[in-house]
Amino acid sequence: MAAPKGGYFGRILVIDLTNRKTSERKVSDDDFRKYIGGCGMGAYLLYSALKKGHDPLAEDSPVFIGTGPLNGTSCVSTRMSVVNKSPHTGLLSHAEVGGHFANEIKWAGWDGIYITGRSRKPVMLFIKDSEVKFIDARDIWGKDTEESEELVLREVGDPDAKVALIGPAGENEVSFAALIVERSRAAARTGTGALMGNKKLKAVAVRGTRAVPTVDVKKAYRAMEDAKKLAVEREGWQGIKRYGTANLLEMKHYGSGSLITKNFQTTWWPAIDNLGAEEAARTFWKKHTACSNCPVHCMKTGVIRGGKYDGLIAEGPEYETGGLLGSNLGLTEFGGMMACIEMADAMGLDAISAGGVLGFTMECVQRGVLSAKDLDGVDLKFGNADAAVEMLRKIAYKDGKAGKLLARGVKRMSEEIGKGSEAWAVHTKGKEIAAHDPRGDKGRGPSYAMGTCGGDHHEGGDPKTLARWAMINSLTICSFVGGYPWGKETPKVFIDMLNPLCGWNMSDDEYWTTAKRIITLERCFQVREGVRRKQDILPKRFTTEKLPEGPKKGAVYTEEDTRKMQDSVYAYFGWDDDGIPTDATLTSLGLDFAMADMQAARKA
Amino acid sequence: MKKDDENVGKALDKETTRRGFLKGAGAAAGFVVATTAIGGIRPPLAQAQQPKPVMKYLFVERQNCTGCRACEYACSMAHEGVVRPAASRIHVRKYKGIVDVPVICHHCDDAPCIAACPLDPPAIRKDPETNGIILDSETCLGSNCLRCQEACPAQFIRVHPDTGTPLMCDMCGGDPECVKACAQQATDPLAPCLWAGAGGAGVNMSFRKVTPDQAAKDLINQMYYPNTDGKRR
Repeated sequence: MAAPKGGYFGRILVIDLTNRKTSERKVSDDDFRKYIGGCGMGAYLLYSALKKGHDPLAEDSPVFIGTGPLNGTSCVSTRMSVVNKSPHTGLLSHAEVGGHFANEIKWAGWDGIYITGRSRKPVMLFIKDSEVKFIDARDIWGKDTEESEELVLREVGDPDAKVALIGPAGENEVSFAALIVERSRAAARTGTGALMGNKKLKAVAVRGTRAVPTVDVKKAYRAMEDAKKLAVEREGWQGIKRYGTANLLEMKHYGSGSLITKNFQTTWWPAIDNLGAEEAARTFWKKHTACSNCPVHCMKTGVIRGGKYDGLIAEGPEYETGGLLGSNLGLTEFGGMMACIEMADAMGLDAISAGGVLGFTMECVQRGVLSAKDLDGVDLKFGNADAAVEMLRKIAYKDGKAGKLLARGVKRMSEEIGKGSEAWAVHTKGKEIAAHDPRGDKGRGPSYAMGTCGGDHHEGGDPKTLARWAMINSLTICSFVGGYPWGKETPKVFIDMLNPLCGWNMSDDEYWTTAKRIITLERCFQVREGVRRKQDILPKRFTTEKLPEGPKKGAVYTEEDTRKMQDSVYAYFGWDDDGIPTDATLTSLGLDFAMADMQAARKA
Repeated sequence: MKKDDENVGKALDKETTRRGFLKGAGAAAGFVVATTAIGGIRPPLAQAQQPKPVMKYLFVERQNCTGCRACEYACSMAHEGVVRPAASRIHVRKYKGIVDVPVICHHCDDAPCIAACPLDPPAIRKDPETNGIILDSETCLGSNCLRCQEACPAQFIRVHPDTGTPLMCDMCGGDPECVKACAQQATDPLAPCLWAGAGGAGVNMSFRKVTPDQAAKDLINQMYYPNTDGKRR
């Protein structure tokens, strides 16, 4: 079990909040080569640490913040993956987020942070290289993410430190609370915020001063430079440079007919002209912001000038935030949408789940199942931005009857409300889904239904793409850079960087086998929790209601589509007819340790 | 028909068109500047000409900074041989998540850092050829002294995480790596925020007095008006 030669430090920082102790977990080169890092390493650590049915909010439930081998090197735009058992779905979940935080972890000499235990009082961590400080966070507890970040930076006294923290939503354990990194970037969809709130961990600040060990510096950096050139030269990404992902709002409305609108009732929303990228570029955006070393700078911030929200500074819209908190809520005015997005960021909410919950509730109001009376007097109708902003705040604080109800998420809300609301409760595996309607954009179907986490738009539209995503999320690289994660350059472009960096001799075959191993291990976790073929489905709305208008009028995601998608994924990864990985598959991937669990699942 | 297709092909060949433009305009351009979509300033076009003149000063158009830190990557690569932003000379500071301030050495004509050095001869000198600030790490008193750090009006000087000696900008021998890295990042729609010039034009002497904190306040005021305190509401 040799230590890694390069690309990794070979150690994960383990934090025990209960006893305020830290330790170091050594990880061998073999294990890194098998699980790479990020979501793959997270799946491995969590699979062995947790038993079936483990309470996600138990004291010993871990949060793993994982980096990959390329973090901290000159590779373009490296991210991190946050892995935990989600309190929202009860399943293994991973969230990827950009910025500089992940690289600071690496420069501090760690391959990841593994947090367990529960503090009695609010606490924050400051990790500077090998030194870890537990700092009292009682004065910061209760503050929104903006004020908190300022206070955390002042407290740690290092202006170059990078901060990840939770807002009021996390503190109040809203099960879809996000971890907010560097003020505007959300590691969401995993309920990580709720876990951190439960652990009374308000913030983690990191600052590193080291360099990542590299076996063959010249060769590795050469390969990274070549990869970067692809990123710079690809014309396809010029739109992302200019508009971020916001121009997808117009594209999905006019082009692919998959713009989420009014809780998936349609995909046609002409008011998108007032919400989309062109409006933002014309009236709102003032600045482009990039992750480490990235020439794409897809993040935009701006300020509203004039009107009701005069002076509102916010980040966005991206496609998901603008879709879920814009057209999904039937909004027609830019300022109102930005107010919703900024409120979600400030409260530390997952904008996708929060948007899903608001859309669902608005449809309940539209159909007369709920009224303002049930919602603490808030007039939550489609198109009412002010009501949506107010309700986001109430969700974060679980304020009143309405806040408590909406903080439960769509699945549990519809179970509680009843009255036929299951028909428009749009979720997969208990999670609200992202802003691409799979009837118009069929490639999103497998991503939502077959992806590990459920409801996730970044999992892949076919078996091979699922494998690509598994590697992207384990290498913790951004999928936007030059498009090479999607093109014929994969896996060569990654292998060319990895081999000289880590001193490996990875082949194309090994790359894809690693991808299969990671997805299969994640699947083992979900199977252990009870996921089978009958959970790998899309919400009823997509299989029964035809799109009423727009470029894909009449489209529906048929039962046949669903069955085909399931069969192709099971066959590609070597899972049996019910979606349980077979013994032969487990052996060939070196996952024998999961065999007993899978056999038990097959009998159950 | 065939002829038309060929013409269309040529018109779409951006590379050729752009280079032609540079060649044509470069000779007469001198200090011509062009305003970009968000209001930044492009570097002098003369930069693309051969042979490259020795650059003696750095300039920064802060509005254009995306906070990507490619300059830090390039600087540490050039001086340390690896990516290690903590040992980079140039550094980028983020404020309130909405503005990024690149902190550069202004290569001041009166060099307060050299004047503050207690040694005789000083451990810091200025290369007359490139204007680069060169540190003699053998004689420098390092963390015991750091008066140069206190004296720097721009708060540029940081210390090396291993040795404790100040990190000085040597202009990479007249062709700064950070500037090249920034140019590579800043393809359309954004112009680079860093560039180099052969003359300081006095701007460097006036610009240096702006501390990073002050620069952040100015930027917020300028970019996010009417929200002059940058608080999100």
